[in-house]
Amino acid sequence: MRMDETQRGWLIASAAILAVALAVFVPYAYFSSQGPRGGSAIGLLFGVVGFAFMIFAALLGARKRVPTWRVGRAQAWMRGHLWLGLLSLPILLFHGGFHFGGTLTRVLMWLLIIVVGSGVFGAVLQHYLPDIMTSDAPLETIYDEIAHVREQLLDEADRYVETWCGSLHLQLAGPQGASLHAGGFSAMRPITPIRGPVAAGIAPAAAVVALTEDESAPLRRFYLEEMRPFLDRPRARGQRLANEARATSAFEGLKTALPPAAHAMLADLEDVCEEARQLERQARLHHWLHGWLLVHIPLSLALIALGAIHAVMALRYSS
Amino acid sequence: MIDLTIDGNPVRVPAGTSVFDAARMKGIAIPTLCHLQNETPVGVCRLCVVDTGARVFSASCVRPVEPGMNVVTNSEKVQSARRTLLELLLADHPSPCARQQQSGDCELEALGRAAGIKEPRFSKRTLARGKDDSSLAIAVDHDACILCDRCIRGCNEIRNNFVLGRMGKGYAAGVAFDLNAPMGDSTCISCGECMVSCPTGALTNKGIVGTVIAAGDDAQLIEAEELLHLPVFKGISGTFLELNRGAIVKRRVRHGEIICREGEFGSTAFYLLEGKARVSISSPIAHVKTEGGARGFFKRLTSTLAVRDSDAREEETRDRTIPIDASVDLAYENPVAELGPGDLFGEMTCLNFYPRSATVRAETDVLAYEMLRNVLDILMKNKTFRAQLDQNYRRRALENHLRGVPMFADLTPDFIEHLKESVELVRYAPGQLIARQGEPAESFYLVRIGFVKISENYPGGELVLAYLSRGDYFGEIGLLGGGVRTATCTALDHVELVRISNEDFRQMIEQFPAVRQGLEKVAAERRAQNQQRLQMVESVPIDQFLSQGLMEAQSLLILDLERCTRCDACVNACADAHDGVTRLIRDGLRFEQYLVATSCRQCRDPLCMVGCPVGSIRRRNSLEVIIEDWCIGCGLCARNCPYGNINLHPFEVVAEDPDRPGRKRAIVKQKATSCDLCTHLKEPSCVYACPHDAAHRVDPRTFFAPLLGGK
Repeated sequence: MRMDETQRGWLIASAAILAVALAVFVPYAYFSSQGPRGGSAIGLLFGVVGFAFMIFAALLGARKRVPTWRVGRAQAWMRGHLWLGLLSLPILLFHGGFHFGGTLTRVLMWLLIIVVGSGVFGAVLQHYLPDIMTSDAPLETIYDEIAHVREQLLDEADRYVETWCGSLHLQLAGPQGASLHAGGFSAMRPITPIRGPVAAGIAPAAAVVALTEDESAPLRRFYLEEMRPFLDRPRARGQRLANEARATSAFEGLKTALPPAAHAMLADLEDVCEEARQLERQARLHHWLHGWLLVHIPLSLALIALGAIHAVMALRYSS
Repeated sequence: MIDLTIDGNPVRVPAGTSVFDAARMKGIAIPTLCHLQNETPVGVCRLCVVDTGARVFSASCVRPVEPGMNVVTNSEKVQSARRTLLELLLADHPSPCARQQQSGDCELEALGRAAGIKEPRFSKRTLARGKDDSSLAIAVDHDACILCDRCIRGCNEIRNNFVLGRMGKGYAAGVAFDLNAPMGDSTCISCGECMVSCPTGALTNKGIVGTVIAAGDDAQLIEAEELLHLPVFKGISGTFLELNRGAIVKRRVRHGEIICREGEFGSTAFYLLEGKARVSISSPIAHVKTEGGARGFFKRLTSTLAVRDSDAREEETRDRTIPIDASVDLAYENPVAELGPGDLFGEMTCLNFYPRSATVRAETDVLAYEMLRNVLDILMKNKTFRAQLDQNYRRRALENHLRGVPMFADLTPDFIEHLKESVELVRYAPGQLIARQGEPAESFYLVRIGFVKISENYPGGELVLAYLSRGDYFGEIGLLGGGVRTATCTALDHVELVRISNEDFRQMIEQFPAVRQGLEKVAAERRAQNQQRLQMVESVPIDQFLSQGLMEAQSLLILDLERCTRCDACVNACADAHDGVTRLIRDGLRFEQYLVATSCRQCRDPLCMVGCPVGSIRRRNSLEVIIEDWCIGCGLCARNCPYGNINLHPFEVVAEDPDRPGRKRAIVKQKATSCDLCTHLKEPSCVYACPHDAAHRVDPRTFFAPLLGGK
């Protein structure tokens, strides 16, 4: 969620709550004979409020499971999650009087710190990364479709090169009928191949091979040894085409080895590589955008569970 | 009797005989193009010139014999003159012409070959006179016409139809139908006489290539002679029927068998001769649910349709009918009707290649004619057949159509009876103008068959205001307002309309004030909407905005990519709200930092509506496009949507078994789905569920105004 002026209301409200909490905590800590404790009335109040904030923050997950329930806009829940979740840390620190206590409370406090920390980290990522993804990967596609689009890119590149060099003798895995132009927009519905009399009326394209074997040798070598492996496994290390500047230089070098007629095709291949890089960039950014949740969510659940145990034990045995 | 000599042979013929005929009697062939034995000779091609010893050669077809005349038909000078004439005609003729390509018997090209002309010495015509493809039966290539007038004489002298004539002068001269109307729009009845008279490829039979109906055990080919004995073919040209052999068959269907199935594509129409057939929609009449959510694990695993009672739309408070491609409409509550002898069905499929709108099953043993569009077209031009069809329509469906107009629901039965007798049923060819903006308004129209485009001119172009289909109406604004048409109405395909005259319209609104109020209210709404659209068109200047079709949209689902974390909460919410089927795909074109998601845009020019065989995709008064629950899943709307925003989704439902009547079984039915804006809710689910404030449903005109710098 973007941290902008639309958050002002929540910021002010949170600051006010924190100010009130501080106003309560400071005299309480100063005048309390035993120092601030979780078991005191004010300490318990901080504990209940902090735990309530935690519960509310955790309910966002449940809210997302029922997106059509009219229980408040998801956006409001998200803002509440962010600000109240953040507030829960100081409130619960006030609850414990900045002491981490025994084993369970110590674990709880560390869990809280990690959960809030990971949440803040996630919020920062989600503030900046959408912007970066939008500008750096303009050809982005749906994340789950990336593998499919890569297959299409590979298929498209194969066909470009085979048009100029003749058969590459490849075992093509991709669907031959899916002659979709790879691009930022992927067709989500299967495109029905033309059959029957209409297809019979369309003359098959002649197999034109534009370069002789000698002329095409540099392209063939470059494609089979460098570009195809890159399109196939873009994450492998040490690939020249994974870097934009080095890829440009590689294609410039290849241009000098091929006749000018083939330069337009090289530009197409360069575009294919650029799209593959963008997809890789998108996948990487996507992992950053959502990867932190792998830490945040399980620890949050653990925190709620342990928090509940702590509450029950504290209330049961405090008297 | 007159004695003369032809090529040295003495000949005796009655006075008044032409030289051409005299030579023929003697077995001497004189080449000709413009002359036919059964037509009055006109001597325009001059190819039959002979040397009679006069100062110039004479056209033998119009030159009467004279006593003692010495005729030479084949001298070198005569042959040279003919050769020059042939070269001149061939220079003005596309070679090979359509006839030469089809059957290799273009008379002009045959004569050219016989004279050894490979390439004429004269330069070819540079000015094209054009082609006319408007008739379903006959193709017209004006470039191949040699102005021999054989067609004109065939039409006027032999058939007495008086449709064909000459037009233009000099190089632009040609033949014309009526007052130079396209052949399909003219009064031509497609008798085929012109076509068989034509010596070249200027008028050729437009048999639908390779689509002769296959004969078999249940389909019997019919000879032209047999057809001509049938009342419905009375007055139709035998020549035409002969040329279109195989385009009509007599089909026998046994009791219980299916004649055609809803949703299937076809190209034929059926005319019932004997027996009864049941026409029905087998799709379950039920909505794809528009709300859902967590209702249990098992519920989420299945995909079902909600019965109408549990999910009725607001406007579905009164009885409605489902328009189909037959002479009857189906009742919403019980979409079944009966067809009998004399009924025609499949007209829209045959003429416009729309999918079949309903399933027709033989209730008894049925005998029917199945025909292709060229035969149907000529039948439709037959007065006897037309009258019979119109009578069926007036008797069975007109009342439903009239009552289908909400404002007409209160008309008394007497007045409806009056209208049934007084309305005119009119027919328009594809592209034909029905009414032009600015012309006097003289009638009110109800669409019976086909689609009508309503458009308005504005500086710099034409703006489509609406597409109207069966059951829709137009013309009330002009009649209620200043008596002038405010928009142009054009037939998009083969259109048939019910025309209510100005007098009847006036009588109706005077007699029924409620009708007047209703029509005035609708007219005011339409005028306001049209005005709003025109204002919008004038205020949007950006090319990209236009090229992405954003200007056409009334409501866009946009995702602010600088806020969107690609979490897919919007997609999940949409799926959750619509029975597990998402109607939005988080992909699409980008405009600035916004992604225009693949979700219905509620276009101002809703191309998706054109062609729906059962009229199940329509626009509400609030302008959103909705798909009615009797959608038969043919997929035409999905193909028509330029933005890929309509998808077909399979639903497993229990419905009547088409192979075993009376029994039910689980089948998979397709239904088209499109964003309905979650109109029953305050806010679309996708927008409501976006936690990052990235998804918005916006009016592009206002939302993008700051970016566009518009007004």
